[in-house]
Amino acid sequence: MIQDNLQPVERVIRVKGLQKRFGTNHVLKGIDYEVDKGEKIVVIGPSGSGKSTFLRCLNLLEIPSAGEIWFEDKLITDKKTNVNEVRRHMGMVFQQFNLFNNMTVMKNITLAPVKLGIMSKDEACETALSLLDRVNLRDKADSYPAQLSGGQKQRIAIVRALAMSPKVMLFDEPTSALDPEMVGEVLEVMKELADSGMTMVVVTHEMGFAKEVASKVLFMDEGIIMEEAEPETFFSNPQNQRTKDFLSKVL
Amino acid sequence: MNFYALGFLQSDFYQKFRNAFIVSDRYKLYFEGLGVTLKITVFAGLLGLLIGTAVAFMKLSKTRNGKPTVLSYIAQVYTDIIRGTPSVLQLMIMYFVVMASSKNPTLVAVLSFGINSGAYVSEIVRAGILAVDKGQEEAGRSLGLSSRTTMLNIIIPQAIKNALPPLGNEFIVLMKETAIVGYVGMTDLTRIANKISTRTYEAFMPLIGAAVIYFIIIKLLTIGLGYLERRLRKSDSR
Ligand SMILES: Nc1ncnc2c1ncn2[C@@H]1O[C@H](COP(=O)(O)OP(=O)(O)OP(=O)(O)O)[C@@H](O)[C@H]1O
Ligand SMILES: [Mg+2]
Repeated sequence: MIQDNLQPVERVIRVKGLQKRFGTNHVLKGIDYEVDKGEKIVVIGPSGSGKSTFLRCLNLLEIPSAGEIWFEDKLITDKKTNVNEVRRHMGMVFQQFNLFNNMTVMKNITLAPVKLGIMSKDEACETALSLLDRVNLRDKADSYPAQLSGGQKQRIAIVRALAMSPKVMLFDEPTSALDPEMVGEVLEVMKELADSGMTMVVVTHEMGFAKEVASKVLFMDEGIIMEEAEPETFFSNPQNQRTKDFLSKVL
Repeated sequence: MNFYALGFLQSDFYQKFRNAFIVSDRYKLYFEGLGVTLKITVFAGLLGLLIGTAVAFMKLSKTRNGKPTVLSYIAQVYTDIIRGTPSVLQLMIMYFVVMASSKNPTLVAVLSFGINSGAYVSEIVRAGILAVDKGQEEAGRSLGLSSRTTMLNIIIPQAIKNALPPLGNEFIVLMKETAIVGYVGMTDLTRIANKISTRTYEAFMPLIGAAVIYFIIIKLLTIGLGYLERRLRKSDSR
């Protein structure tokens, strides 16, 4: 089927010349990157290199100082874009979980779909329960965040984002705030998500996850993407001296 | 009649008590005074909460590029003036200058104390909102919720929990502060006690009596607030 081969890959995110300054601190110095549907991009790099800033620019939690970000066929860095509309389709998972402390797990998950008129309350509850089943936490539906372990909180946070049926999921060091024995359960959920075909951009220090799941690994340093490669090449044959130094420290 | 009871009834202490509370149904005067105190406190408290909340949001308002707005400057000036001047003076200025033509002293007192309390409440509410972790807002916004929805459903409920203890405290301070309305001729609880003591030439009983009444009301309030606080803390329990 020649036709199929000619089908263009679906581009989910396109970043062109992205720059971000905090006052005089030039954090992102020109990032160009494209994420295709179904890709799992893992971003690594030293602390302060701008990984979080990059990720947070993608859903406009940080406003870029220069450059363009396209989500599907929308230029979202355009001032006229409806930011809330864009964010619905981009799930985000934070290092500190950020579950809503004043709400039960169920309310955490159903709040956005119901408030945004995407689902009725009943539909949202049903969706929430089936998602909770997927992470084995159905019995926590009526708990408050303060009653959960870190690993449970993070799995709920993932479910909360998934309840919006996002087209891409952004993860900012989702396991860095966890006790070691809880890292596995969260990575497991993320792997399943990856297998289900979700498009993902993951900032992490879990090199094992990068090797196993990533379709591309990006190494960020000094506000740019220093190196990008498929995981096998990236870890076995890094080109850049910076990458080599970094890998020798973390592996 | 029992010897001791007779002795008590003839005692100096009992006579003073009688004069202060029972003779010509004076106890009713304390309740009237208490009524005035409570009326001013409750309405001024509500007004203060209203003003304070509005002013808190003015203080927190930011322009697009994160700078303070004109509104936030106005709010700061208001807070500075109120906190920088004695409340007795504010009340007298309100009564004798700003609203000198008003025939309704209660209204004047409510406005004056409400405006006064609003300044303190605004700081409490502002701090309560700022104490909510930034991540809560980011999580709400990252789901596509508007800043308004995020505020109302996520930030404010948590801010209320933070602000409740200091707000209760402010209400208690306000209630006692209203004791200065005697300066503008209103007869609240304190003023009544004072009047009765001048009539009976005996200060101890009426003043202690008024103090006990304030104390009981505030103690009840404290118990109620503690209960409310525990209910709101339910989501924190492990
Ligand atoms: N809101 C902000 N205001 C000012 N400076 C900021 C802000 N956010 C980040 N920065 C600065 O930007 C730089 C990059 O921060 P960023 O959080 O993106 O790094 P990172 O690669 O995610 O690091 P880490 O691995 O420690 O999470 C740092 O120097 C940081 O101090
Ligand atoms: Mg980071």
